[in-house]
Amino acid sequence: MVLEGDVGTGLIAIGAGLAVGLTGLGAGMGEKDVGAAAVGAITEDPGIFGKAMIFMVIPETIVIFGLVIAIMAIFVMV
Amino acid sequence: MSLPESMSRVVVVGTKSRMEEAIEAFYSVRALHLIDHTSGTDNMSIGTPMPTNQKAAERLLKVRAMEKELGIGEKTETARVSVGEIKSQISSGSVESIEAEVLKVLDVRSDLNQRITELNAKKKSLELLTPIPVDLELYRGYKSLAVIVGSVKEDPSEALKTLADSEAFVSYKKKEGGVAAVFVRAGDKDKATSILSEYGLVEIQVPEGKGPVSEAVVLASEGLADLSAKLESVEKEAEALQMKHKAVLRASEEELSIEIEKGEVPLRIAVGEYSYIMDAWVPTSKVQYVSTELESRLGNDVHVEFEETRGRNLHEEEKAEERFKKVPTKNNNGAIAKEFEYATSLVSTPKYQEIDPSILIMFFLPLFFGFMIGDCGYAIPFIILGAYGLKVTHHKDWRAIATVLFFGGIWAFLFGFFFFGEALGMHFIGHWEPPLHMTWEGLLGVHMPDWFGALMVNGHGVSKLGEEVGMLLKLTIYIGIIHIFIGYMCGFLNIRRQHNNKHAFFEKGGWIITFVGMVVLCYALTQMLFSKLPLEGTLLYILAAGAAMLLVGLVVNFKTEGIMAILELPGIVGMILSYARLAAIGMSKAGMAMAFNYIAFGMIMGMGDAVVWPSIGMLILGLVLFAGLHLVVWTLGILSAGLHALRLQFVELMTKFFAGGGIKYEPLKVKRIRTILTQAETNKEV
Repeated sequence: MVLEGDVGTGLIAIGAGLAVGLTGLGAGMGEKDVGAAAVGAITEDPGIFGKAMIFMVIPETIVIFGLVIAIMAIFVMV
Repeated sequence: MSLPESMSRVVVVGTKSRMEEAIEAFYSVRALHLIDHTSGTDNMSIGTPMPTNQKAAERLLKVRAMEKELGIGEKTETARVSVGEIKSQISSGSVESIEAEVLKVLDVRSDLNQRITELNAKKKSLELLTPIPVDLELYRGYKSLAVIVGSVKEDPSEALKTLADSEAFVSYKKKEGGVAAVFVRAGDKDKATSILSEYGLVEIQVPEGKGPVSEAVVLASEGLADLSAKLESVEKEAEALQMKHKAVLRASEEELSIEIEKGEVPLRIAVGEYSYIMDAWVPTSKVQYVSTELESRLGNDVHVEFEETRGRNLHEEEKAEERFKKVPTKNNNGAIAKEFEYATSLVSTPKYQEIDPSILIMFFLPLFFGFMIGDCGYAIPFIILGAYGLKVTHHKDWRAIATVLFFGGIWAFLFGFFFFGEALGMHFIGHWEPPLHMTWEGLLGVHMPDWFGALMVNGHGVSKLGEEVGMLLKLTIYIGIIHIFIGYMCGFLNIRRQHNNKHAFFEKGGWIITFVGMVVLCYALTQMLFSKLPLEGTLLYILAAGAAMLLVGLVVNFKTEGIMAILELPGIVGMILSYARLAAIGMSKAGMAMAFNYIAFGMIMGMGDAVVWPSIGMLILGLVLFAGLHLVVWTLGILSAGLHALRLQFVELMTKFFAGGGIKYEPLKVKRIRTILTQAETNKEV
């Protein structure tokens, strides 16, 4: 199979993939601990669902940063 | 902006002799939030429960025990009984008479159950003994002989031969184990036991009886069958009793619980020798009503004294006596916003002095949900499901979800049609060029009228997976800026109301200036870096203005919060970028939908650059797959779009102004489910 396009476009695509993939991994590792603790806490007292969720989603922002970088790499920088 | 309802504190004083009547009246006005009395002053101390409470508690205990035995639970459907009827039944001793009737059957049932258990155990022992050819009466009645009977794990026949003057019966099967009956001299009993215990002896009690064991087993089986038949008829009787009394029992339980709750009110108020004093919070709008209502019902035996209407400034709270400090929060929302109070309550109850975020959530939660879904094809099932949910369910969790689905569905339809112009991942208008451009026009081979396209942005809608992604990203960032700004403004208003302008400026104003400065600065920087505009003229001024505001804001924040103000600065950019998820979730949904459409139409039905309809078999297979795969996207949409929309409210919006930790307003009132007030009683009670 012959690849079309230049090396630069390929590198941008790889970069964008890495930005989303690695930040996703990072966010996942962060949320792992918080999520486990949050589920434990909600079992004790279901009333704190909202507060637990706030803590739970804090690491998630990182993956959004990765996504923004990826979108900028593909659509803005070209 | 919506604050909790204004509250006033009243003191109700009355004569003790009519306290019971007064408590009824307190419950009927449904507005008094009791303030617990704490210490005894001026010969007043915490009262004692009503004298009728003890009897009611006893009856309630009986009713609950009977319900448990008869299998009447929370979910048992029963007819509603009128309050007057159930009250007269309870006072005429219906609980006791039902108890007598029920106990009679229950006693028989438990007796039968016990006999069945015993007989089962006996049968089991007998079955074990069947292989041994000794009649039952021969196992007992000896003076000089000892009889050891039991099950064994290994075959003890050889070892038992060492015992002198003994008779051993052993039946042993390798897989099932065996049973041994050993007759020895009374003096040799210990020796025999010790030999047998090496082979895993577990002694059994030989049941009394006569004749061969096998006959006894048959007898026991017959006995069991007989008892089971009796038990069945008793169960039927119990069932009949359940049917007969369930309505009365459930209603009695409710009525007695209410009676006990009312009877315990004196424990929360101050009671003296001749009078009682009760402090309570009442919504300001209802003070007049409460006062007139109570006085009209109790005449001169009650007096309602208005004490204060609590303002929102925290100084008033600081000045107040300890038990009057906290004011209960009564949400002040319209019919729709009320459904979103549940979302707020997931975080906390708003304080009396702060803005209730429910109304903001009402607007933004469905809006964000709809933007993320952004597809007519998914929107319509959401609207139908939401409307159905709102119609059938009364549970507050489900109602909250149904409300979001309904209004979110409407927004999703609006965005999906006018902004994105697509349904089920395919645009309405455009050429057919799979896999990236698949359209309804191309698929159905029709040309939509021009006015149809003119309704949509750009004449065909915005594509989530093309060149317009940059624009979508910008749009979501602008939405985020407005959302967060509203959050900061609410924070400012809260502090202003709780303290004063100066306080609000230093606590929230600084952050507002920093936020605006950061937005302006970032705007100038993006223009410079991405749009490659030269840093001169207007752009330079914008950059300078942004930097200056940032600096001013930082100084103000530094004065109030110290070094934390600087550390929290990058968080502002993070918060704004967090709204990019609005575009991201939409993109991921659109990407999945596109892939699934290509699988269904391109791969299964074999449509290439031209739309050619396949044979009927492949068409059906393709359509089934199409429906199934879109159902997956739709279901994932509820989870991801719903949770992310909620998160943006909880984290990005509410952390800017919402403190929470308020007390919920819970007035004295009763909720009747099993009992019902007749018209005459309603007039009397309310």
